[in-house]
Formats: sequence, structure tokens, C-alpha cells
Amino acid sequence: MVESGGCSAKISPKQLEEILKRLPLPDDPNILVNVETHDDAGVYRVNDDLALVFTTDFFPPVCSDPYEFGQIAATNSISDIYAMGGDPVIALNIMMFPAAKLPLEVYAEILKGGSDKASEAGVKIIGGHTIDDFPPKYGLAVVGYIHPDRIIANTGASPGDSIVLTKPVGTGIILAGQRLGITDGNDIAEAKKLMKQLNRQGAEVMKKYSIKGATDITGFGLAGHALKMAKASNVSININMRKVSLIGGTYNLVDEGCIPGASFRNLDFVENDSHLGKNLDYNLKMIACDAQTSGGLLISVPCDKTEALVKDLHEAGLQYSTIIGDVSEKKHKFLYLKN
Amino acid sequence: MVINNKKPNTKYYLFYVVKFQSLPFYFKQLFKLFTSLVLLQTNNRQEMRIVDVKGQQCPAPIIATKKALKESEKGEAFKVLTDNQTSLNNLTRFLMDNKTEFSVDEADGVWTLIITKNVSATSIAEVENYCTPAASVFPKGDFVIAITSDRMGDGSDELGHLLIGNFIKTIKDLDLLPRKIIFYNKGVTLVSDESPFLRHIKDLEKMGVELLICATCVDYYSLDGKIEAGILSNMFVIADALASAGNVVRP
Repeated sequence: MVESGGCSAKISPKQLEEILKRLPLPDDPNILVNVETHDDAGVYRVNDDLALVFTTDFFPPVCSDPYEFGQIAATNSISDIYAMGGDPVIALNIMMFPAAKLPLEVYAEILKGGSDKASEAGVKIIGGHTIDDFPPKYGLAVVGYIHPDRIIANTGASPGDSIVLTKPVGTGIILAGQRLGITDGNDIAEAKKLMKQLNRQGAEVMKKYSIKGATDITGFGLAGHALKMAKASNVSININMRKVSLIGGTYNLVDEGCIPGASFRNLDFVENDSHLGKNLDYNLKMIACDAQTSGGLLISVPCDKTEALVKDLHEAGLQYSTIIGDVSEKKHKFLYLKN
Repeated sequence: MVINNKKPNTKYYLFYVVKFQSLPFYFKQLFKLFTSLVLLQTNNRQEMRIVDVKGQQCPAPIIATKKALKESEKGEAFKVLTDNQTSLNNLTRFLMDNKTEFSVDEADGVWTLIITKNVSATSIAEVENYCTPAASVFPKGDFVIAITSDRMGDGSDELGHLLIGNFIKTIKDLDLLPRKIIFYNKGVTLVSDESPFLRHIKDLEKMGVELLICATCVDYYSLDGKIEAGILSNMFVIADALASAGNVVRP
């Protein structure tokens, strides 16, 4: 199977933003979250006690093992529901597969990986759609339940909050290095493990602490998603890149020049609204822009709850969870990166 | 990756027919030959290392470039060859961010970057406007643009504002870029952090266009600390830039 970039296969966030601006937004009081705030998923109110969280995501293979690819793609698709504080319920498979070029066994393995991950998340896959295309692409469209008053949106970051990240970053760099044969085998294994890790535990901890603002880190990188949250919440988010956990040899790979193209696209997207200090280490800056596949949750936590929340995250098995920054009143820029 | 460490070529053969009947001609040609030999030898001494990343996609070209940078002596130059527009863009962005001097030339779909390892990385890093070394990539015409207002033309203010934005955006597409853009009076608001066109102005700065911002005007419109591009300049610098330009374009 051909490997390419996972979430880095997204189109440029800058272009996307400009295209979406041209589309009319549907007007319905039951739409609680739409594309306007560039959130992880849309939310639609059914009644006073129930709203649906709806999202989709699919991408080309990030690894050569089709079963693993299916697992990672499904984890990534479901993640958006968790990031909104929802419980994923049902899903549809979305698949593009070159039936003439690859054995159907590969097709079955991808679906099996997706199905197993969905089961782990308690999601029932109730249908799907396949198109003949090369290279293969796979993902899910997922529906989740949420209480309309308990939506965790990217508009919910408040000045004074701390910013917590639940997974280390570097999947884009690790995978790019893997394609060139310069990534350490242990780091590849670690990255795959993280990409297959559901954000369910993180979401449960968020709900326990009635968190208002969060997002998950995927194709636009830590900087891109933090910026989107800052913009949607009209605050400034300050991140200390030295506090961000990295997967194994990520820093050294970047220092060797292993910077995937997606990082440059993301840098292009964030730089105008961000303060990238003159003393900001170049490698850390590019790591902040690294496109993540199935990355962690970026949580905006009221200051007095931060310590307890991080402790709970650690106990839930998310041992890399750390405080990486804080939220302040909107300053000149939306995002401040330092080291 | 092909790294070609060419050894200086010291062998060259001379076939020269001397025509005795024309002694002045002979001397002239001898002089020419002499100078070309000197040039040839100078060139040979600096025979550059070539890093060929044609056909490679990111991040491979950056890895190869960074390796060559690490292995080069300070002040030493080497060539990088690429045939991929995205790789070129990412490479130039990488070099600019790392304040590394380079130039780009294109021929038959292949870009040749000549990259010079900084003599002193720290002193160059302190220079605020690090994009100047890339200037040679984008040819300049003998003209400067004076932006004296936040609008273009007379009539509707709203339309005028849109037009000036469009104008600034379009400068990037001109065959020849201006040497300088001078912002004075209400024009300075276009370079402030609240300007909707700041991105395009910054792009121009990255392309090597010098931006002169009238300091008195910044003061007058209370924009201290909010100017995001260019160099704050006094009236002498501005007057000199206007006076020494081949043409001044005022939109």
C-alpha cells in the first residue's frame, strides 16, 4: 500500500478558509455549531436534552499495514466527536479503493481495522460508500450524542484558563522521516500507538470538569488548531513550545531538515495572526506547525481545576498530558509561541 | 540524492594561431587570453558543490540542503538543483527563516539555488529584515511607489479602500517589482496591525521590496508599536528615495 501523509493530505487551511467564506451558512436556530467557527464538528439540536454532533474525516494511508491504517483513520474520524464533548454513536464508512490495483484483501483489512476501532469506541458502523480511486482513502462520517448545554466548543476558551495537551506531537515529522528511512523504529511504533489511541479517556475527564473549550489537534498542527480556538473564542493563546511533549526523536529529525510540506502550509496559515518571537527556536516553530494525524485534545481549563484535571488525565493513561500554555484577553495577535 | 564534489579541472588545451603580421592584434588577444585564464582559475578554485534534489519531494530537499549547510565552511557557497515548485518554495522559506543568504535562477524547469553559509550567523540573525538576500529572485524596475492615502482615486471612500487593497495585491504580479514602496500620511495605516492588506505588504517585503514608513505620520495617527512591516523613516530618507527614483508611481 502506498503511504502518504494522513492528515497532512488536507488542502491548505488558508485556501479552505477563503472558499468556505463564499458559501452561504444555513440559517436554522437548531444549528448550535456550524463551520463559521471552524470547529471540529457541527452540532444540531434535536430537543432540549439532545443534540447531534456530526463530523467526517478521511485520508490516504499513513502506514503500509492496511489493518493499522483502518484503525488510525477511524480513531481520527471519531476524535472530533470527543473533542466536542460528545458520545459517538453511529458511523458510515467512506472509502476510496483501487479495486484493479490492490487485492481486495487489503480493502477488507482496512474495513476491519476501522470496524474494530469503532467497536472499541462503542460506535456502530451502519453503512458506507466506496468509490474506485487511487491511492486508497478511508475514514468515517460519525454521529454522536451531546446535551445541548454541554457542548465543548472551540469558542469556549476564557482568559485565565490554562492550556493542556493530551498527546505528544510529531506524527507528521515521524511519518515523513519513515518514508525516507531515517526515523527510528521505536519512534514509528510510538507514533502509531498514539495515532490509534482514542481520545475517549480525555473526553471523559473533560466532561468531569465541565470544560467549556477544547479542540483536537489534526492536520493544521498544534499552532493551527490553537489559532482557530483563539480566534473562535476571541482571546489570545500563549504556548510555551518547550513544554510540549514530543514523540521520541522528533526534534532531531526536524533539526536534520525533515520538515514535511504541510508544515510550510500551516506556517503560512498561522503566521499573520501569530506572534512567532524572534527568539523562537526554528525547529520548535516548525514542530508547532507539524500536521498531526489523530492528535491529542487541546483543552482550555479554568486555572483552579488544572492540576486535578492533569492528574486525572495521567491516571486515565494519558501520561504525556501537560500544561503547555495559557489564555489571556485578546492582545495584538491571537497566538503567541515562545520557548 | 546526488552530491557531486567536483574536483577542480586543471587541464585545458590552447590552440592559438599567432598572426605575426598583426602585432597589436596579437598583444590584444594575448591579453584577452591572460585575463580569461585568470578568471578560469578563480572559478576553478570556487568550483561549487552541487546538491541535486531533482525529482525529490519535501522534506528530502530540505534535509539535503541542511546537511550541505552543516558540512560547509562559513562563507562557502554551494548549489541546490530542484525541479519542483513546492520544494523551491519550501526551500526558500526555510532559508529566509534561517537567515541564510541565497539566490535563485531558473532554466528549463530547473531552479538553481546558490546558497552561502553565513559568515556570522548571529550578526545576520540580528538584522530585522532578513528577506533582503532573496531580493535577487524577483527582478526590480527603476521605480518606486508612493502610497499617500488608504484609498485609491477620488469618489467613494469604501471603493477607494478596496481599490488600494487590490492595487497592493497586484503589485506582486507585476513583471518588475518596485524598488521601494513609500507610505506616508494616511497611507501608513495600511502597514498597521489592523490593516486588512498587511499580508500582501509583508509578502512584498519578503520579495525584497524595501518599505519606507513615514515616522511622523505613524506618530500623528497614534500607530506607535502597531506598524508590522517596513522601516520607519524620516523625511530625508523619503525625499531621497523619491528624488532618486527613475519613476514615482502614485496610485
